[in-house]
Amino acid sequence: MQKKAGPWFYVGLFVFVFVVMFPFLWVLISSFKPVSELFGDKAFIPYTSDPTFDNYMSVFVNHPFMTYLKNSFIVSGATTIYTVFIAAFAAYAIARLHFRGKTVILGLVLSVSMFPQVATISPIYIILKNLGLTNSYIGLIIPYTTITLPLSIWILVTFFRKIPHDLEEAAKIDGASLMQTYWRVIFPLAIPGIFTTAILVFIAAWNEFLFALVLNTEEAYKTVPVGIAMFQGQFTIPWGEISAATVVVTVPLVIMVLFFQKRIVSGLTSGAVKE
Amino acid sequence: MEENTAKKKKKKLSERSAAYLLIAPSLLLILVIAIWPVLQSFYFSLFDLRLSDPTKSEVHTSYQIDLKRYLDNYPFLQGSIDKELRNTQGETAQQLNSIKEQLNQLDSSLREDEEIQERYESINEKLINIEPVLDKESLIEIERDRAKEIQETIQSIYQNVKQLEGLEDPDAVKGLTSALTDVVIKPNFIGLDHYVKNFMDKRMWMAIWNTVVFTVVSVAIELVLGLLIALLINKAFFGRGLVRASILIPWAIPTVVAAMMWKFLYDGQNGIVAKLFEEIGLVDSMASLLTTDIGAMFSVIFADVWKTTPYMALLLLAGLQTIPKSLYEAAAIDGANKWKQFFTITLPLLKLSILVALLFRTLDAFRVFDLIFVLTGGGPANSTETISLLAYKVLFAQTNFGEGSALSVVVFICVAIISMLYISLLGRDLLEDKK
Repeated sequence: MQKKAGPWFYVGLFVFVFVVMFPFLWVLISSFKPVSELFGDKAFIPYTSDPTFDNYMSVFVNHPFMTYLKNSFIVSGATTIYTVFIAAFAAYAIARLHFRGKTVILGLVLSVSMFPQVATISPIYIILKNLGLTNSYIGLIIPYTTITLPLSIWILVTFFRKIPHDLEEAAKIDGASLMQTYWRVIFPLAIPGIFTTAILVFIAAWNEFLFALVLNTEEAYKTVPVGIAMFQGQFTIPWGEISAATVVVTVPLVIMVLFFQKRIVSGLTSGAVKE
Repeated sequence: MEENTAKKKKKKLSERSAAYLLIAPSLLLILVIAIWPVLQSFYFSLFDLRLSDPTKSEVHTSYQIDLKRYLDNYPFLQGSIDKELRNTQGETAQQLNSIKEQLNQLDSSLREDEEIQERYESINEKLINIEPVLDKESLIEIERDRAKEIQETIQSIYQNVKQLEGLEDPDAVKGLTSALTDVVIKPNFIGLDHYVKNFMDKRMWMAIWNTVVFTVVSVAIELVLGLLIALLINKAFFGRGLVRASILIPWAIPTVVAAMMWKFLYDGQNGIVAKLFEEIGLVDSMASLLTTDIGAMFSVIFADVWKTTPYMALLLLAGLQTIPKSLYEAAAIDGANKWKQFFTITLPLLKLSILVALLFRTLDAFRVFDLIFVLTGGGPANSTETISLLAYKVLFAQTNFGEGSALSVVVFICVAIISMLYISLLGRDLLEDKK
């Protein structure tokens, strides 16, 4: 399998990457097209003779897109920090300490990560409505725990297990308490794993749609996915604005993926692969 | 010696309690935010719960009387009857008087109950001062027979009012009386009726069928393509990092954004992919992609394959990389060709990775919501409506929480069955406490 890659391999690879990237490239081009070139025969020309930033302007001027971005950042950021913090303790206990019912707890965490969101939404909606927490940040952060907490525990357990036991033993012999061992020894060693988990949790929260759609219906509290989904008017679909908005949302994610791809891959595959 | 074991025991015990303490916050959150809501959904599904209907907006397990509603109407009804009495004579006046008599009897019979009398006054006072009245104080449980009795009295008053003729403001009297008929709240427990109704309903079976078609077809294609891609890029080659990053992008962008992009590309007039499909003869006209049953299902599956095949490939690639190279070398020396190597080494050793990837993908596909919500909205003619989408529509478009909860419980049960099937295949591999 380790034969040297031939030219056909690269041709195949190029075709594959092109197919994967094609929708983005097309949307990117369309976002710079003036409205007149988005319809009719000109719609199929892969370049524009008259590039314009109108679509981008419109996204921020005619839509509260800045607000959507801010909301998504606040909700996803807060969700990430608090879930990873809580999940790290649980994962440490599962990976390092001896206690009864460990398999049961891990099984519970795994099965909760499989729950369909729609099965929890009606009680969550009613409770948050009664508490007056719909259309608020906290009202989204709390339900996002359903998605992000099992995910973080699951990934972090794998990372914690990889940390060598010796250092911990040494700390114990030196008389460090459990919490001291955690904060001084384990935690610093686990920072790369925790960071990886945080990236995945952030992306998961950023992309969430159903809860955001149901719970935050006011413009001032909508997140990016909901905002984009609601861009279309009743009779016309503003493809230019949608393309521009898509680019605005995608570019930061592309940069993030390029920067952290190794971490993301190790996080995604950590639960799925047995070494 | 003895002292030592005691110490050890103590240490073990403290470690165990520390572990439970560390896990407690996570477990508590999972219980409150995931497990309790699922149980609650099941509980809701046993009731006729409708947020748009004030008498059914909450779960009622027993007969109740809504004093706030009563006091919001009763005094005004009395007032408007008195007003009418001043302007009428003859038969109508007689009828009005007898209605008034009935009302007075009802009111005093209600007040005979001490508890009702007490709350009656406090609520009345609050209403006069325009203070808010909580549901808790407004609703009082009553016995079934008594509830029926009250309901019958109000119904008979309503019948009498309907027959009245020659009133000055008939709408006021009738409206107020009609409002009184909702004062008695019946328990809305209906048991498994929602399930029975849905199991007889074609729409739910069609939604389940659509979900199964979507899941099976897209996951199967994703597995085959994903495996091919994983095998292809499981080589050391130039630009590997870049390829991996480009693969991750479809996975990383929000599904809704991807769905929007595909909606644009599939558009019947301006969509480039629709145009390409038409040119290569895949569809007879650009428009039929999103407007015909098969076209829409195809479009949804195609978009999902585009978005998640790379993710599948990545999971399988990770599995491939754990297979020791020496195995292939040994097999090559023994004269096994590439196919044989694939079937005797790669597939068996990849089995666990494949099953794990399939498990996660199948469950994700089965609960699909955002992709279809944006791309087709379930249309045309519900041909791409999945079970999650149907549950969402019943819950929030029809505000029928009882029935919607029943549908979401159905989704949950399907997901549970699928994961049990996979986990029985995976065995304990997934959960074993590996050191």
